[in-house]
Amino acid sequence: MVVGTMGGWYEESLPAVVIGEYAGLGHVGTMRVEAACASGSAAVKAARSSILSGEAEVAMAVGIEKMTEVDTPTTVEMIGRAGSFLWEFENYGMTFPAYYAMFANAHMSRFGTTEEDLARVAVKAHRYAARNPLAQFQTEITLEKAMHSPVVAWPLKLYDACPITDGSATVILANEQVAKELTDTPIWVDAIGSASDTANLNRRSDYVGLQASVEAARQAYGISKVTPDQVDVATCHDCFTIAEVMAYEDLGFCKKGEGAKMVREGETEIGGRIPVNLDGGLKAKGHPVGATGVSMVVEITKQLRQEAGPRQAPITNGIGLAHNVGGTGHYAYVTVLSRS
Amino acid sequence: MGSLRSLNVRFDIPISRTREFWEALAHGRLVTTRCVECGSVTFPPQADCPKCMSGKSEWVEMDREAALVTCTRVDMAPTSFSAAGRYTVAIGETKTGLRVLAWLEGATPLDAKPGSKLRLEVRKGERGRPYYVFVLG
Repeated sequence: MVVGTMGGWYEESLPAVVIGEYAGLGHVGTMRVEAACASGSAAVKAARSSILSGEAEVAMAVGIEKMTEVDTPTTVEMIGRAGSFLWEFENYGMTFPAYYAMFANAHMSRFGTTEEDLARVAVKAHRYAARNPLAQFQTEITLEKAMHSPVVAWPLKLYDACPITDGSATVILANEQVAKELTDTPIWVDAIGSASDTANLNRRSDYVGLQASVEAARQAYGISKVTPDQVDVATCHDCFTIAEVMAYEDLGFCKKGEGAKMVREGETEIGGRIPVNLDGGLKAKGHPVGATGVSMVVEITKQLRQEAGPRQAPITNGIGLAHNVGGTGHYAYVTVLSRS
Repeated sequence: MGSLRSLNVRFDIPISRTREFWEALAHGRLVTTRCVECGSVTFPPQADCPKCMSGKSEWVEMDREAALVTCTRVDMAPTSFSAAGRYTVAIGETKTGLRVLAWLEGATPLDAKPGSKLRLEVRKGERGRPYYVFVLG
C-alpha cells in the first residue's frame, strides 16, 4: 500500500501507518511517497511497479490531503516555499499563483492568449463540477464573475486558481490474472510516463510550457503506442487556468500556442475533440494535493466504464489519459488507461 | 476537536559552500560560480558543477544588465510577507545568458514587457541582510 501526500499541514506524521492500521492491512508493507501535487500519481506508479516487478499481485494506491486547519496566507506560504526555498522564497516571497502567473504572462505575450481565454477554462471547470456530486464547487459561474474576481498574482485572478481542499481517493491495482478474477470490467494502466525539472524557475528553458509534461507524455505515448488523437477523454492538471491551456499543448492535443483556441472553440468540452476535466478539474472539483493524481485515475476509470452519468464523455477508442503535475513542472506524470 | 499542541520552527539554511556569494553581496557585489573544469557558469551558485560533476569552482562577477523574460505582481502575499505590500517579481536574462529571479523595484507588469531593459542592484533588507533586485534599466 502506497500513500501519496505532501503533508506538513495535518497532524499525522506517518499517514501510511495510520491508514494501514485502520484498514487492517497487517504486515503488507507500506510507504508514503511525495511528488508535490503529483504525489497521487507517484503512488500509482510505485504501486504499479510493485506489480510489474512480480513482488505483489495486488497493490493499493491511496492519495490524501487534509488542509482545513491552515489559513489561506499560511497555505500560500507553505506551497510558495515549494520551489527553491533560499533563492525564490526567502527574499522574494514567491507564491504558487505567482509562478504560474509568470507562465501566463509569457504565454499571453508570445501567443496572444488573453485573460478572457483563461477565465473560459474556469467557466468550463465549474460547468462540469456542477454535474459532479463529489466536487467542492457544484455551481456554475459566468465569464463576468471570473473576470471581475480579485487579482491573486497578475494576470491570475481568484477564479483562475484552484481552491484549498480536503480529500482522498484510492485505486486498487492487480496483475492481469487477479484483475480478471476480481472484476468483469478491468481498466488497464497501459503506461505511466514520468519526468522532472529544475527546482529554480530561472533555470527553465522557457515559460510557455512545462518540459516535464512534454517528456512524460512522450514516454507514455511511446510505451502505450497511443497517439493524442486516439484519446477519448482526459484529465489535465489545472491548478491554474493557464496550466490547463499549456497542458493541451504539452500533451500534443494541439500545437504550441493554440491551447486557448481549443478552449474558445469548445474542443475540450463534451462533444468536442478531447473532453478534458469533466469531473470539474482541480479548479472546481478541488485540489487536495496528494489525492489529486489518484482521483484523476478514478475519474478516467469511471469515464472508460461509462459510469460518469451526466458528465459522461463519448467513448469510442476506449482510451483515457491522466496528466498530473507536481509543483511548477518540478514533477510530471502522464498515465494512459484503456478498457479491454 | 482542536489539538492543544502547536509547533513553531525556524530553519537554518546551510550555505557553507557558497558563503562567498553572501559575503560579496554584503559588499554590494554580485558573484556566482564558474566550473574550473568545463567553464559552466551557474546561478544560483553551487560548489559542484551540475554539467560535468566537477567539485572545483571559482567565483566570477555577474553581468548587471539584463532583459526581462517574464514577471508577475504578487497581490495575495504569504504570511511572512504580509507587511511587504504588493510586489513585482521578474525573471531577467543577462547578456551572457544567465537568468535571475528577483523583485522588480518601482514597476508593475504593466510597465515591463518581455525584452524590457533591467539592471541588477544590491539592497539591504530586514536585519541588514543583503539581497538583489531588478530595476528598470
